Amino acid sequence: MTDSAELERGYRRWLAWYPRTFQREHEAEILTVLMAAAREGQRRPEAMECLNLMSSALSMRVRPRVPRSDRSVFRAIKLMYLGALVELAAAIIVLATIGEIKSKVVMSSPGLTEGEWHAIVVGQLAPTEVGAILGVGFWLWIAWSIGRGHRWPRIVFAIFFALNIFGLLNGLVHGSAVYARPDLAIGTLLCLVELAAVAVIFRAKIVPAQSGTSRTIAES
Amino acid sequence: MQEATFLILTALAAGSQHGYGIISDVAQISDQRVRLRAGTLYSALDRLRIDGLISVDREEIAENRLRRYYRLTPEGFEQLATEAARVQSNAATAIARLGMTKGMAG
Repeated sequence: MTDSAELERGYRRWLAWYPRTFQREHEAEILTVLMAAAREGQRRPEAMECLNLMSSALSMRVRPRVPRSDRSVFRAIKLMYLGALVELAAAIIVLATIGEIKSKVVMSSPGLTEGEWHAIVVGQLAPTEVGAILGVGFWLWIAWSIGRGHRWPRIVFAIFFALNIFGLLNGLVHGSAVYARPDLAIGTLLCLVELAAVAVIFRAKIVPAQSGTSRTIAES
Repeated sequence: MQEATFLILTALAAGSQHGYGIISDVAQISDQRVRLRAGTLYSALDRLRIDGLISVDREEIAENRLRRYYRLTPEGFEQLATEAARVQSNAATAIARLGMTKGMAG
């Protein structure tokens, strides 16, 4: 195998990090640039080149693919990122206030045994924590989907919002939401962010992301 | 607007160019200070194309390799002109104030 062929094969391996549609459309021209910029006798991609290709490919996978002029869509995406942040804060606050929660539970049920407390942790607090972590992923997934020009996240997010409101109201009725003030505050803030997100996401003018370039090939 | 984006649009202001041509031109415009890597270039070109500031002009095969030429769209031309005017105005203010400072010090 010649140096050039070996180098090209090396570059192709790194270009595989790009999204499939982008790779299909641009691999040949990026290879042209990489090969033109390569040093005489170079056999392998340099570490910085690999890092640059990988980071560009990963950023292309996650960043929005809608025009920046679609401000309403970008506003919705930013709100989704904020929601993910608040959701993460909620998970941390529940963990940080676990002592306060326990003392409130003991006050309402003085004869609480360690076994019963353990059952509350396993049955209520652990699912809340897992739910919050999954929630962070959900917000980011919705942000990604909106950035890809999908409209279905609007309905999915509205259902998520309804479920969360139901959860908060249920917690208020049964008292679990008011065990610790910070938990109630972050839960309320989360619902407000969700409410704002529902309003913004339904007003956003989401247009399906387009890809593709003209196909005017001329031999030179 | 990021400097790399500004320089890429500036490179295309004189006419359509292919990827390697843009890299070379950007290096020349910036006095070899900005040397774009292929990943950075195509990430920026993709973003600019989505934003409607550039479009594909044509493609050609040279020495069995694909060359895709990009050009500024009217929106790209307008945005570059706006940004260039803004940079020029800021630079003029900075130069004037530096001159004033020199005068006061002297």
